[in-house]
Amino acid sequence: MKALSQLRACMARLPLLLARRRLVDEVTEELESHVELLTARYVRSGMDPDEARLAARRQLGNTTRVREEIYTMNSVDWLGAVAYDLRYAYRLLTKNPGFSVAAIAIVALGIGATTSIFSILYSVLLKPLPYKDPGRIYSAEIIVPERRGQLPSLPASVEAYLAWRDTRSDFAEIAALGPWECNLTGDLDPERVGGARVSANFFSFLGVSLAKGRGFNVDEEQPGRERVVIISDAFWRRRYGADSSLVGRQIMINGESHTVIGIAPPGLLVPTGTLLHPQVPFASRVDIWKPISAMKRGLNNESWDHGVLVRLAPDGVRETGRQQLETIINELVRVQMPRLKTNVTVQLIPIREIYAGKVRLRLLMLFGASALLLLTACASLANLLLARVVTRASEFATRLALGAGRARIVNLTIAEASVLALIGGAIGVALATFGVRVLASYGPEDVRLMTSALVSLPTLTFAILASFITAFACGLYPAWRASRYEMATALQEGGRGSFGGAGRSRRILVGLEMAFATALLATAGLLLHSFINVMQADRGYQIERVLAADISLFGDRYAKAPSRVAFYHELASNVRALPGVSAAGMISGLPAVPSTTTASRTILLPSDAIFQQVVLSRPVAMIRGVTSGYFAASRTALMAGRFLSDGESGPVAVISESLARRLWPRELATSSIGRQIRQSNTDSPLITVVGVAGDARPGALDREALPVVYRPYEQWANGLMTLVVRTAQDPAALAPAVRATVRAMDHNLPVLAIHTMREIVASTVAERQFQMMLTSVFAILALLLGALGLYGVVSYSVACSTRDIGLRIALGARRPDVFRWVFARGMQPVLVGLLLGLVGAVAIARGLRNLLFEVAPTDPLALGLMSLVLLLSAGLACYPPASRAARIDPAAALRSG
Amino acid sequence: MTFQGSLGYFYAMANGTQPGRIDVLQGTLDLMVLTTLESMGPLHGYGIARRIEQISEATLWLNEGTVYTSLMRLQQRGWISATWGTSENNRKAKYYSITRSGRRQLKAETKKWERIAGVITRLLSTVQQS
Repeated sequence: MKALSQLRACMARLPLLLARRRLVDEVTEELESHVELLTARYVRSGMDPDEARLAARRQLGNTTRVREEIYTMNSVDWLGAVAYDLRYAYRLLTKNPGFSVAAIAIVALGIGATTSIFSILYSVLLKPLPYKDPGRIYSAEIIVPERRGQLPSLPASVEAYLAWRDTRSDFAEIAALGPWECNLTGDLDPERVGGARVSANFFSFLGVSLAKGRGFNVDEEQPGRERVVIISDAFWRRRYGADSSLVGRQIMINGESHTVIGIAPPGLLVPTGTLLHPQVPFASRVDIWKPISAMKRGLNNESWDHGVLVRLAPDGVRETGRQQLETIINELVRVQMPRLKTNVTVQLIPIREIYAGKVRLRLLMLFGASALLLLTACASLANLLLARVVTRASEFATRLALGAGRARIVNLTIAEASVLALIGGAIGVALATFGVRVLASYGPEDVRLMTSALVSLPTLTFAILASFITAFACGLYPAWRASRYEMATALQEGGRGSFGGAGRSRRILVGLEMAFATALLATAGLLLHSFINVMQADRGYQIERVLAADISLFGDRYAKAPSRVAFYHELASNVRALPGVSAAGMISGLPAVPSTTTASRTILLPSDAIFQQVVLSRPVAMIRGVTSGYFAASRTALMAGRFLSDGESGPVAVISESLARRLWPRELATSSIGRQIRQSNTDSPLITVVGVAGDARPGALDREALPVVYRPYEQWANGLMTLVVRTAQDPAALAPAVRATVRAMDHNLPVLAIHTMREIVASTVAERQFQMMLTSVFAILALLLGALGLYGVVSYSVACSTRDIGLRIALGARRPDVFRWVFARGMQPVLVGLLLGLVGAVAIARGLRNLLFEVAPTDPLALGLMSLVLLLSAGLACYPPASRAARIDPAAALRSG
Repeated sequence: MTFQGSLGYFYAMANGTQPGRIDVLQGTLDLMVLTTLESMGPLHGYGIARRIEQISEATLWLNEGTVYTSLMRLQQRGWISATWGTSENNRKAKYYSITRSGRRQLKAETKKWERIAGVITRLLSTVQQS
């Protein structure tokens, strides 16, 4: 094929650059030889030798010119050629603004979308973490095999941390961290701040140096010396206006004076929320650090709530270290709880997984979706370029006739595509900088945590690469088409007609666009269906018309439990008296969100005598303190017995259904009433079960929650409670009144977060929503591109076949038949694309199973609905050209032909 | 009009050496080199020039040296290959032979030229008639 030989010619030139001199010498020799032979010939025919030589030279012609040409033919003067092509392409594009704008917009869209997602992907999944040697940092978790059903893994306890820290192993350094929240009062507004208790070496463990001040000293871990804090850069700026004199000053925390000894650096990354472990829930922002008080409490105490980070020594081996940790903890268990027959294992999770693990699949899916959009844009662009090439068929034919190499035509067309792609790519990058900012501010927490708004170098490299690949991929086929225009045929038919129409190629491209759009639409449909299911799922508590407010009591006034009890009861009854309130109550931690103040305990039966023998076979449950109004306010279901009331006489509890099932399997819920349980120890007081409530599921529905034991607040007094208010009308309208009520009772209490339950649940599914919305946006854009492409192709095909159609009408075809013919022909590629896209979508959905909720990959509702949307859009795109075709005046059409 | 005749026709026009014709001439010369090598087997540059002179029925052919630029072009496109050998006057000479892709190219070009020749023939016959 000629194109191939052209390419070969180009390739042949490159090594010849070196051999250039040699080739010129060879030709010189050949020319000399040639002259000799010619001279001999003339001499044989009778000429004088000198005259013969002259004649021979004359016949040979300008040998210098030949040698120069050989020299240039082996040069790669492509730089000049490229410059020419680019100038020409630029002129061509400015002469056709409509086409250029459309093409640039398409490229900008595709590159913009892909670059935005890539930027986030890079920040979250690929960029090195801002720690020293992050590849050697792991989070250590403990797996108790017998507990695997309820708790896949456990964080460490303070005992384990101390044992690990004080024993030699392949881990050079060990740090611990635990959740902590506090109230900041004093000169400024009271504020509740999320933070962490950390071991003294925490910052040096991470390899992070403080911006101001110093880190913690080891002796500050002792009780009495731990009134020192470090605050985050953002908090320092926000609350204290970046006041540099803050270091060394005292601030009031929970009513006690603490010294600020340091400010963390701006880029510090620490785990928030449940990133580290579900049982180690930090607040959504960590702004303050305090030294851990590592008091040994004995393994019997069930505070397995310390996150432990370990750093592998330079010559350490991960598996060896892991086994060492395992040995240490098993030894500890054996010593402290000799009757406990179990072998725990230690699991090491790389720190990257902590940050990226949950979000990886979602981000990859989003990237895939943006790639599909880019592919659609590419097909669109190729279509446009092909259409342009067809329009310029006579120009190409003329060029070819005048001797332009096919390679030149190809170069020219690719230059055009390159200019388009580069301009479009530049605009796309600009769009992406804006897009990343939007995504980061509306996106879920983990994304926001790690994304900076700037478009970094790797992202830019990606964008440039993508633009170039787009240019080549889209330009190659039209360029090849352009170079194939046969001189005579193209000149005869004036560029149009069935040969030059490239109709089939364009229809194939449209079919591809439709396939990509279908895949995106179907995926978006599946995600949408999942999201609707998630929002409508019954979580066990009411979501609509419920308000939730966090109240925390601290200070001397509330030091004693009775005063706290009294406060909460008074608050609940004051709030109940507000207009529009149906019910109000308090609970020590909403089931919807993970809470730092909810405790989990092992539930034992009265017959259990030896803790260590039974502990592993007994269930773990969350203990929540409630006031009596809570059940009514949250509309928790009652399966048996009764709810708690104020002023219960003895230790009582309402347990959740799943706990009843675990404690007394194969028995009815009603039979649990009157039975007794114990919390944590075999000698703790017996608690009577008075009721069985329905299970409450966490807001995100991503895992099954631990069962719950509801205790009356008087018997399980806690500092932080959430007020739950069920209203008759819009709950948000009640927020000011609730705030006022709290303030009226004690104006020192910090105004804590007040949200509607719907908002709270929505924030737990924010990730899911984000992903669904973004995929939908991509899907709609792809659909638009596809529909526009289809419209263009069908319109053009009608324009090309005007004579044809006119003839048919003149020969008796009826207009509805013409309409149907054009319409059907236009929809053909759509149907093929639809089928391909659906197959692709199901394959994709299979891989994304973890992201779907109660929706099968072949969900007929989602797939069917989206197919309908696609067909309708395609139909809308085909309709105008088809009706135009049906309205063709045969006389005019035949005349114009 | 025979195939050779039509070639000669174009060649006669070419002797006027108008600049616009250079690209067309290039292609024609390349074609003639290929044809020569196909029918005559391996030849060196001088031999090719003689044969072309013969079949084009031209008495004088200026710029015979251009056959070497044509040979370079054809080599770069992979349509001919070169080996070293010895010429009649005992000098080292490059012998050129056609390659398989060269033969393919020749077939395609021949078809194209025959079509054009047919068009011209019909054109000229109508001119003669009227």
